[in-house]
Amino acid sequence: MDERPHKAHRPSKTDKKDKGKGKEKQHGFNEKAFAPKSGRTADKQGRRNAERDQTRLHVPLVNRTPDAEPPPVIIAIVGPPGVGKTTLLKSLVRRYTKQTLNDVKGPVTVVSGKKRRLTFIECNNDLNSMIDIGKIADLVLLMIDGSFGFEMETFEFLNILQSHGFPKVIGILTHLDLIKKAATLKDTKKALKKRFWTEIYQGAKLFYLSGVLNGRYPDTEILNLSRFVSVMKFRPLVFRNAHPYLLADRIEDLTPREEVRLSKGKCDRTVTVYGYVRGTNLRLGTKVHVPGVGDLDMKSVTILGDPCPLPDADSEKRRKLSEKKKLLIHAPMSDIGGVMYDKDAVWINVPGSFTRGNTDVPQGEGEQMVMDLQDAGATLEDAVAQSHIRLLGSSSKHLTVEAPAGDSDDDSDGYEDEEEGDESGIDSDEDGEAGDDDDDDERAPNPHSTGRAARRDVTRTLPTASTSKIQRGEVEYAESDSDLGDDDDDEGMVRRFRMEDGDALDIPSDEEEDDMMGEGDDDEEEEEAAPKWKGNLAAKAQAASSNARRRKDWTKLIYSSELTPEEVLAGKEEGAMDEDEEEEDDGEFFRFKNVPRKDEEEEVDSSKIVWKEEDLKKWEDEEILDSIRGLFITGPVAADGVEGEGYEDEEDEGGDFEDLEGGDESQPSTSAPPTTESSRAAALAKKKEELKRKFDEQYDDPEASKVDFYTEKKDEISRQLQLNVEEFKDVSAETRALVEGYRPGTYVRIELVSVPCELIEHFDPAYPIVVGGLLPAEERFGFVQVRIKRHRWYVKTLKTNDPLIFSVGWRRFQSVPLYSLDDHSIRMRMLKYTPEHMHCYATFYGPVALPNTGFCAFNSLAGAAPGFRVSATGVVLDIDRSVKIVKKIKLTGVPYKIFKNTAFVRDMFSTALEVAKFEGANIRTVSGIRGQVKKGLSKPDGAFRATFEDKVLKSDIIFLRAWYSIQPRKFYNPVTSLLLSDKSQWAGMRLTGQVRRDEGLKTPLNVNSTYKKVERPERRFNPLIIPKKLQAALPYASKPRVMKPQRQQTYMQKRAVVMEPEERKAVALLQQIRALRKDQVVRRKEKKNEKKAVHAKKAEKDEERKAEKVKERKKEVMRATGRKSKRESEAEEGRGSKRRKT
Amino acid sequence: MAHATGLIQFSGHQHLRHRLVLSILSGKPVRIDKIRSDDKNPGLRDFEISLLRLLEKVTNGTVIEISVTGTAILLKPGIISGGPLTHDCPLSRSIGYFLEPVVMLAPFAKKSFQLTLRGITTDEHDLSVDLFRTVTLPHLQLFGISDGLELRIKRRGAPPAGGGEVQFLCPVVKQVKTLNFVEPGKIKRIRGIAHAVRVNPQFSNRMIEASRSVLNRYIPDIYLYSDVYKGEESGKSPGYALSLLAESTTSALHCSEAISQPGVAPEDIALQATRALLAEIDRGGCVDRQHQSLVLLMMVLGSEDVGRCRMGEPTLRTIHFLRDVHRFFGTSFKIVGADPLDKECSHLLYSCYGTGYINANRTVA
Repeated sequence: MDERPHKAHRPSKTDKKDKGKGKEKQHGFNEKAFAPKSGRTADKQGRRNAERDQTRLHVPLVNRTPDAEPPPVIIAIVGPPGVGKTTLLKSLVRRYTKQTLNDVKGPVTVVSGKKRRLTFIECNNDLNSMIDIGKIADLVLLMIDGSFGFEMETFEFLNILQSHGFPKVIGILTHLDLIKKAATLKDTKKALKKRFWTEIYQGAKLFYLSGVLNGRYPDTEILNLSRFVSVMKFRPLVFRNAHPYLLADRIEDLTPREEVRLSKGKCDRTVTVYGYVRGTNLRLGTKVHVPGVGDLDMKSVTILGDPCPLPDADSEKRRKLSEKKKLLIHAPMSDIGGVMYDKDAVWINVPGSFTRGNTDVPQGEGEQMVMDLQDAGATLEDAVAQSHIRLLGSSSKHLTVEAPAGDSDDDSDGYEDEEEGDESGIDSDEDGEAGDDDDDDERAPNPHSTGRAARRDVTRTLPTASTSKIQRGEVEYAESDSDLGDDDDDEGMVRRFRMEDGDALDIPSDEEEDDMMGEGDDDEEEEEAAPKWKGNLAAKAQAASSNARRRKDWTKLIYSSELTPEEVLAGKEEGAMDEDEEEEDDGEFFRFKNVPRKDEEEEVDSSKIVWKEEDLKKWEDEEILDSIRGLFITGPVAADGVEGEGYEDEEDEGGDFEDLEGGDESQPSTSAPPTTESSRAAALAKKKEELKRKFDEQYDDPEASKVDFYTEKKDEISRQLQLNVEEFKDVSAETRALVEGYRPGTYVRIELVSVPCELIEHFDPAYPIVVGGLLPAEERFGFVQVRIKRHRWYVKTLKTNDPLIFSVGWRRFQSVPLYSLDDHSIRMRMLKYTPEHMHCYATFYGPVALPNTGFCAFNSLAGAAPGFRVSATGVVLDIDRSVKIVKKIKLTGVPYKIFKNTAFVRDMFSTALEVAKFEGANIRTVSGIRGQVKKGLSKPDGAFRATFEDKVLKSDIIFLRAWYSIQPRKFYNPVTSLLLSDKSQWAGMRLTGQVRRDEGLKTPLNVNSTYKKVERPERRFNPLIIPKKLQAALPYASKPRVMKPQRQQTYMQKRAVVMEPEERKAVALLQQIRALRKDQVVRRKEKKNEKKAVHAKKAEKDEERKAEKVKERKKEVMRATGRKSKRESEAEEGRGSKRRKT
Repeated sequence: MAHATGLIQFSGHQHLRHRLVLSILSGKPVRIDKIRSDDKNPGLRDFEISLLRLLEKVTNGTVIEISVTGTAILLKPGIISGGPLTHDCPLSRSIGYFLEPVVMLAPFAKKSFQLTLRGITTDEHDLSVDLFRTVTLPHLQLFGISDGLELRIKRRGAPPAGGGEVQFLCPVVKQVKTLNFVEPGKIKRIRGIAHAVRVNPQFSNRMIEASRSVLNRYIPDIYLYSDVYKGEESGKSPGYALSLLAESTTSALHCSEAISQPGVAPEDIALQATRALLAEIDRGGCVDRQHQSLVLLMMVLGSEDVGRCRMGEPTLRTIHFLRDVHRFFGTSFKIVGADPLDKECSHLLYSCYGTGYINANRTVA
């Protein structure tokens, strides 16, 4: 490349200009230019900065999605039908991959940058799909028809998002080309933007897409949109940050065909789904929920190669120039590129019917190769039998295959494994890397070997007491180096050999045996020579050394071996075991049962450690006591370092522990006094330096060392995440998956068992399949208490015991809620209806969701349901197995006999037993006299004696207020929309009224429930008559005041009026004036009436004109509706004809 | 409405407690059969029945079915409810036996625990209430369970007649913190409680004296308290005991205990406890052997992060426990040598990825 002569670079004019600009800027940051001119400005600036600083702060949240290789961002394209979703999807895919898709189904994954992949998914207009998409989308492209405005679905979708954690939303206005007038366009944009902002937040991004060109949106506009998408940051949502989930981009049925055929397609299926793990780590053993299907068990999870990998340096290098343009796209449901990846196969779709002998299809090189592959004449077995493979170049005989091929395979595997173990046992004196290398070497040719965990098929029994084992135990290390020749014995043969003469195998003196049984043997030997504690010490050292030499793999011993814990602790390895047992087996037959029983008697389930006498005995010795001084703060200062060094030295010598005997542990410091001195000095210097640094830091700037809470928390989180990554870095992928599950970002294949067959039969890629992981708690059922509020746009009130469809967590299900309200913190009181503009509690039976999970509820999911369908939203508060909701009940009775303050009451209870239950209960009369139930009476059943604070009237009604506890109905009905052939037609339990209407039944009418006119006759009271005698006796103040009516005429009545002539005149004048006035008023009234009539006529005319106008407007609206419905119906008919250019 | 989550089967009476605890925590029903089926006296013992009763009390909706012979039980766990409760423990086991599973459950209850237990406070099989108070509860504090965590010893009760009473208070948490405890540190202080009930109160002083004779050489910060209970509060039987604990600079705790035996001088009891403490210190690690399973359980129940803890080799119980945890929660630990360079070191580093267990029982608002 270098040889080719290049054209001399010609600097462009524009470049120069740019440079100039840059240069000007480069002059440096002019501090004066930004310095505040006045104190006020400075103050303002300072405040603004502080404010901006505060907006940075959020509650620190752990982001479980790895930074290194995150799963693709899910971008959902949502909107009403005919708004241009598919066009947008195609345009975006075209933008990223330079490919034009014809038919988009299911998710489409593309690579958008160095660190980012995107999964596009189009959401159809079904409410179920909207709910599922809302739960998984990271970014929603919300499409709005600019020429029409917002539609109900858009608002419903936004409300669904709100209750399940709000992902990022970008609005996109389309069909703006249909608005011709510029002014109208401006106004429409403004109005829609305003509405959109109130719905999302002030300043939410809204894109405008003008018309369609070549079936796509204009490239520049799409480019702008893609730029926005590529820089978008995502904040983890709480629910998704606690649950693993994946969006299935492929689904496959693995059920054996025969089984399907036999059951006529009705058997439960085994299904695999493929997708990127998102959220948290997905772990095997937990259940998953597929919304629309139900809870399913994962049988297996396999990591697959990433079908749409992020570009790395390596792949970039390998990419050919010609491929530069062709970018990766993964859309298995859309069958793009015709390549599908499976666990162990890659499927290539070739157009046309591709069968042998079909000559219509053009046969390229690849096709020819595939054809040739089908020409296999012999089976693999035959081929192997015929081939002559030699194990070594020098071996004279080639390998032969005999009948029990599997057996010998197994055996050799087993052998290899064991040898590996032995080697590592010996090699661990060298550094650990060598051992690792060995492992690698062994594994490389045999990738399927399952390691030492794979056991041979030997039946095993419980071991007996350990003493006999030690004496007879040096049996089974037959596989030493010297035994190499035997290795092609198969297992059966070995066994037979043993059964013939078990003793013959008890040959000691193998190196491994010493290793293995070193503990026991050495113990005995030492004990003879040395005093007791010393013996122990040496033994301990020995044990420790042997321990160190053959370090146990505890993880494996505990989790993947079948050794009993006793054996694990005794230091047994798995290979040794089966032979041990065989040895024990062949002797007695009837011993088995007694042994464990003896053990059981001894073993008490206790957590306290019982120290053995000899373990404690050694602590009587001063030397031993001194040996642990290093473990106390008062002990030798740098004991740690010195000890470590000492041990390293020993290692160098080659593990010869004998010379160090008692010294190595008891006096660690004596072994190297000079080093101690120097190291102590060094440590002291280090400590001093540290202290000095600390002091300097604090002295210079006491604030600097303190970080604020937010930063501290963030650091803590990042440290923990770092640890999470580091901890299992060096573990193999499978073990890692076992320990921590499948990390987000890996592409996996999940095998689900017993999936309803309808999922496969009625599969439609337009409906998303979400696999949501469940926490252990969420698999259970119980009563869920939620705080709920009826949505203000939902027109009806919600009624207790009416079924409601909830969308909580991953699930969608129908249940029967019971509404309640807290009554003075004393009781939960049932409500018949949800209150207006207020939260209340609802309790229903269903699968548990963690407290604080948001939910939304619907009365119907059907598309045909009128109005706003989100009927309520809320949050889960509590989970329990029982509920305490009460409703008020008033028992009424009437007094039938009244004494002073005592009354006998009947008709409240029906038996004496009931009365006994309520003895001492508070009762009250309607008029407010309080009382108490005293004792039941024998005679009229259910009557009782009651006392009151005052005498009650016989006409008074007496009532007892009681609380009756009610349980919600245990009804749970999952919404299995994905199992239907018509997925939007799911119908749950109907209301009684609906059932009656559908069945044509009349509502039964209870006579007592009918309303009758209440007649309340006026109450008449008799006049109060006080007997004369009593009146006379009364004191004056209390005497009724009885006054007789006046009989004589008053002065005013009986006087005669004689007027003077002047007076008469005056009166006459007044009379005339009054008459005149009267007449005037009458005339004025007449005139007014006339005017009124004229006005009414005019008003009538106006009214007519107005009505005309209203009619016109109505007509217009109807026309618009008609247009819309027409468009909808066209959309239903087919996509091609949907968007005709006018 | 198929709600049956996988039933987990066990056989044998061993490790009944932690199996029941794991079942309740994970919500998976458990069936344990062959409970002493070969024994002369088959079936559940009285203390096991009492334990089941206690578990039924602290939970809501738990279904326990015991077979006619008493050799099999089926437990369908409900939710842990907590709240104020009282339980009388039988005299065959001490309070420690019952307290141990309760400690594991209590932080995940609906309401904070206020459990009063009556019975024997100290015996030779189980951890005494002193150790619970001074060692077990601080272990819970490692996981962020601290405010209001308390064990009040109201009365002491020595075996065989008992008569003791303790009150256990435990707060409710949303989620336990992830543990990262790999520095064992050095022992900085030693504390101890010597108590004597219905015997000469001088006994406790004698024990302290004997214990100090050994411990004084190591460290000056030693406080051994003599805890004397009188009259009503001292239970129904005579007895005395010494419990010791050593705390390291990183607040790792090691403990030991010895209780009175007939015909043994209090000095010998004290020496026994002291030597056991030294042996335990010698074993090292961040968590002593008695509390391995508690710490490991809390690690499993931590948030979805890697928790690490350095301990000695697992005990028999711990191995059983780890295997059972794997069956209930599917979590397995990575167990490697704590110090790959130091061959002498028998410490192991237990690390696991927490299940992200969130207390679903807790009420919001």
